[in-house]
Parts: sequence; C-alpha cells; structure tokens
Amino acid sequence: MEDKQNYWSENLRLIFICLVIWFVVSFGCGVLFVEPLNEIRLGGYKLGFWFAQQGSIYTFVALIFWYGKKMNDLDKKYNVEDA
Amino acid sequence: MTRHSKLAMFLAPFLIIGGYVLSDLYLEDQANELKLFELKPMGHCDVFNDNCILKSGEFEINVMHQGIVTTVNSTYPLDTATLFLVDTQGEATPYQLGMKDSPYYWKRETPLGELIANKGEKYKLRFIGEIKGGKYIAEFYTQTVK
Repeated sequence: MEDKQNYWSENLRLIFICLVIWFVVSFGCGVLFVEPLNEIRLGGYKLGFWFAQQGSIYTFVALIFWYGKKMNDLDKKYNVEDA
Repeated sequence: MTRHSKLAMFLAPFLIIGGYVLSDLYLEDQANELKLFELKPMGHCDVFNDNCILKSGEFEINVMHQGIVTTVNSTYPLDTATLFLVDTQGEATPYQLGMKDSPYYWKRETPLGELIANKGEKYKLRFIGEIKGGKYIAEFYTQTVK
C-alpha cells in the first residue's frame, strides 16, 4: 500500500516538473521574457522569437521522451512495468 | 513504445493548444492596455533645415518645416498626429496635423517658420502620435543652424 502511495507521489512530482517546464518554455520564453531573450541571437534569429516558433515544440517533444523514460524507471523501481 | 510515452504523446497536443490559447489571451489583454513610448531626438534637431529625426526603438519620425507648412513623416502609419508649439512661458498651442496622401505623412500650416527663421533661434516643440492605441510622445527643441 505504501509502495503504491510512493509510486503515485513520485508520478505526480514528475508530472508537476513537466508542467513547470511546459509553462516556462511556452508562456515564459515565448511571451513573458520574450523581450530580454530577443537581445540574444541564435543562428541569426532572436531567441524569444525562436522559442515561440520552434524552440517550444522541440522542448515539448524532448519532454515526451524524458517523461516516458522517467516513468519507465519508476515502473522498474516499484516493479509495475509492462509485462 | 511504452504506455507512458503513448499517454504523453496523446496529451502533448492538448498542452500545446493550451499554451497557445493562454499566450493569445495574455497578448490580447496586453494590446488593450495603453502603451506610451518616448521619442528622443537623434543628434541636433533643426526642423527648418530638414534635419530633425526622433526615434524610439524601430519607430522614427522626421519633422520638417517648409514655407508655412510643418510636415511629419513616420516609419509606421499613424492614426493621429499632434504638434504642440510651446512658448517661453510654457504655454502649449496644439496643432492637429492632417494626413497628407498616406498615414505616413502628416502636415499643417503653423507659425513655426516665423519663430525660427533666423540662425540660432530655438523653439520648444511637443509631439504626440497615436498608433493602434499606443502613444508616441516627444518634447524637444528645434534650433536653426543655418
């Protein structure tokens, strides 16, 4: 029972981290901090603009695989992996 | 692909759309707020000799006076343009400029020519230009150099 609770709380923690990264990248880098980020250039593009157009999508895709890997590790740790 | 990766891939589009909606709402709210930008003269300002450029970021205006007509030319189209002539007592007389052919050019007859016709004469001006709810303001001096 305790294992299930620990598994669930670690799962929630991971989801929370993912949501924070999602918010920071999409809303933070693309909107809130776009002006200071635009002072930096990446391959000729303003960084804030790049985040809004491409960077956030790359991060979201990376986040999917990172979340998948971390959850698989968690499954192994608590012996609840797919058969 | 594990169940977790499948779940994450299923949820990702909803989060992307959520981020887009949030950003759109935020930017729309920002656009409705009044924005005020101050224009600063680039170097010496002499409207009588067609040498007076005011700048704020990428927005620039050129103020010039020929004959009895004062003209303002901007890099972005303006909705309204008002020029104020400020006398030595600080009294400002507003001159609402009229559009000349396109919203990039605004002009009006003003007595500015009489006030700065001679070399060395100096006069205080103020400018207010509106673009989509944003206001560009400037207070500057023009001095005739030749």
